[in-house]
Amino acid sequence: MRKLLFCFILLGAITRPALAEVNVVATLPWIGSLAKELGKDKINVTVLVKPSQDPHVIEAKPSMILAARKADIIMYDGLDLEIGYLPLILESSRNPKLMPGKTGNFDCSQFVKVIEKQTTVDRSMGDVHPLGNPHYHFSPSNVLRVADGMARLLAEADQANAGFYQANYKAFADHLREKEKTWHSLPLAGKKFIAYHKLFEYLADEFGFQFIGYMEPKPGIPPSAAHIEELIEEMKRSKPEAILVTPAYGIQEAESLSKKTGTKVVVLPQDVGSMPGTDDLFSFWDKVITSLQ
Amino acid sequence: MTRILGACCVIVLCLCRAVAYADETAERLQKLEATVEKQSKTIEKQQESIEALKKNAEQKQNQVGTQESKEPLPSKTGGLFGGSAFANPNISLILDTFGYSSNLNDTELANWGIPGFTTQGLDQRNGFNLDSAELFIFSPVDPYFDLYANLPATESGISIEEAYVVTTALPEGWQVKGGKFKSNFSRLDAQHPHAWDFFDIPLPYRAFLGNEGLGGEKGIQLTYLPILPIYTQIGAEVLQGDNDLLFGSDAAEGPHAYSFFVKSSVDTSDYSTLYFGPYVLFGKTENANIIQGEEVTANSALYGMEAVWKWKPAVREALTIQSEYLYLTQSGNAMEQTSLVLSGLERRQDGFYIQGIYRKNRWGIGARYDMLELFSNSFKLAGVQQNFGGKPWCETASLEFNPTEFTRIRLQLTHDKSDTMTGRTNDEAILQFNFSVGAHPAHTF
Repeated sequence: MRKLLFCFILLGAITRPALAEVNVVATLPWIGSLAKELGKDKINVTVLVKPSQDPHVIEAKPSMILAARKADIIMYDGLDLEIGYLPLILESSRNPKLMPGKTGNFDCSQFVKVIEKQTTVDRSMGDVHPLGNPHYHFSPSNVLRVADGMARLLAEADQANAGFYQANYKAFADHLREKEKTWHSLPLAGKKFIAYHKLFEYLADEFGFQFIGYMEPKPGIPPSAAHIEELIEEMKRSKPEAILVTPAYGIQEAESLSKKTGTKVVVLPQDVGSMPGTDDLFSFWDKVITSLQ
Repeated sequence: MTRILGACCVIVLCLCRAVAYADETAERLQKLEATVEKQSKTIEKQQESIEALKKNAEQKQNQVGTQESKEPLPSKTGGLFGGSAFANPNISLILDTFGYSSNLNDTELANWGIPGFTTQGLDQRNGFNLDSAELFIFSPVDPYFDLYANLPATESGISIEEAYVVTTALPEGWQVKGGKFKSNFSRLDAQHPHAWDFFDIPLPYRAFLGNEGLGGEKGIQLTYLPILPIYTQIGAEVLQGDNDLLFGSDAAEGPHAYSFFVKSSVDTSDYSTLYFGPYVLFGKTENANIIQGEEVTANSALYGMEAVWKWKPAVREALTIQSEYLYLTQSGNAMEQTSLVLSGLERRQDGFYIQGIYRKNRWGIGARYDMLELFSNSFKLAGVQQNFGGKPWCETASLEFNPTEFTRIRLQLTHDKSDTMTGRTNDEAILQFNFSVGAHPAHTF
């Protein structure tokens, strides 16, 4: 009898850690970083996309399908950014918990004030996002809203630790508000920039600067000579502060444009971890915002 | 004298008084100043606290504001499958068209089989060709099924290459696919022709399965994805067996083709992935496409092994190396169609291909080498080994330009030495154009 009891206790000890942790799969690094911020050691986070990868051109690898198979919750950016691989991962994962409509299917964009929603769009306009600009992780205020929704989701999925997630959210929110004071004290309002790709619009919206042009003539289409000539003329007229690019691509083109115009090139991380010293959301925003001064 | 003294005293007293009075005024002034200072300090303090209160109130108001807007915004209608496609399925059309040039004329091309394997010739003709305009439809049916259909329209009409449903709600990693679908037993068979890395299918597929591979087959598939340290998918299929080279519609009543397969995958680094697995496809054969003028009735089994390695070091750069080995066993009879003479048929033949494709930015270059009868060339008719003149082989090079992910322009050069009987060569040049519009389902790894 005592042996049996011992066996049960042992079994309980073996199985409990597996039950206690919520398995979260996040498509993008910033989503994984936010989940970790709220869930800490109570959740297990797997991020599908590497910080150096372009989220527009991801292929569904079998390892991603296996991760989704094991997941309790899948968190994604939404607005069709992951349309090229996420539906396939979800279907191939054979995991009913993650199907659209279930609580395990968490679309972060549902909490976002989406900009650039397109009313008429076709592919001759390039790789535009018809449901709106999906790169809202550059906007701290939008991410705060996502964080609130995410904390509530985690609390629902793991009710025993509901208070823990709420407390972590509060700490995150307080830290963010503190940081926002510093960021908003920087003189960014009214500044003008050029960017390689339409990536930083939420940031411009939040901090009151603007883009006078993009190196890509249309989203996803590489710059042409004629387009760059036009851009140079525009830059002579309105004298932008800098050309913004990400480490992933566009640096060479931006540098050659910089040589022709004398406008400096500023390299910004595209996501958490895509440049040294941007390992969490705060250091990522710090790097992005202070690079713009 | 006393009067003078008295007056003096009065004066002195007065003076003293005056001095005392002056002293008092200064003291008062000092006191007043101190009071004013005190008061102004108090006012300052009060003002500070008022401001602090104001700030607090503002912050609170802000907090209330954000709290309100933190509620989920009205959800969009599209969901994961994109667009506002609640009432309409996702539809895409893929146009596959090419220009073709060969040293052979059209009649020779139509008869360009592989001796000892197939008598089926090539479908392409010199000049302009329209392969197909493929219509794809996919959509969730309900919370339990996703539906896919692939309807290629060719110049001879529209056909149903695929039309099937996949379950999405089965627990524990199980999934069932049913309808007419392209079997997932092997690498190239599961891919749609427009997703192939080359214009055509390599020799072993052409030799054992036909120009399009196994193609769409009616049947049912069961797959299982267990939770293991590495990705491993196990699958089995029961198929009707309509393929007219490996099987044949009349080979048996009811389903007569079966497959088993295992697909595994590991990430060999952050930027590279290996994908591999064995498979077998077996069933009953009855068709007249293997030997000229003879109808083959047999039991056949096609064993295979696939391996793919993909390396993606940067955003728009990728190298893919892929190889498959196929081994056929077939035993039965061949009946001469005119004389009706029956003789025993025993085949043990194999084949392989290896291909590499490197893509950077909008460009891609590729090369492929195919060979049959690598290790085994046993083809016994009535117990006699047949000689077809050596190992058929083929080499291919390609150059791609992909302006966007929706357009592919490919130039392919092929040196095909599969006609071992006459020793002729088919030197081909193909300029292929592939366009896709609409919402197309994502391609598998």
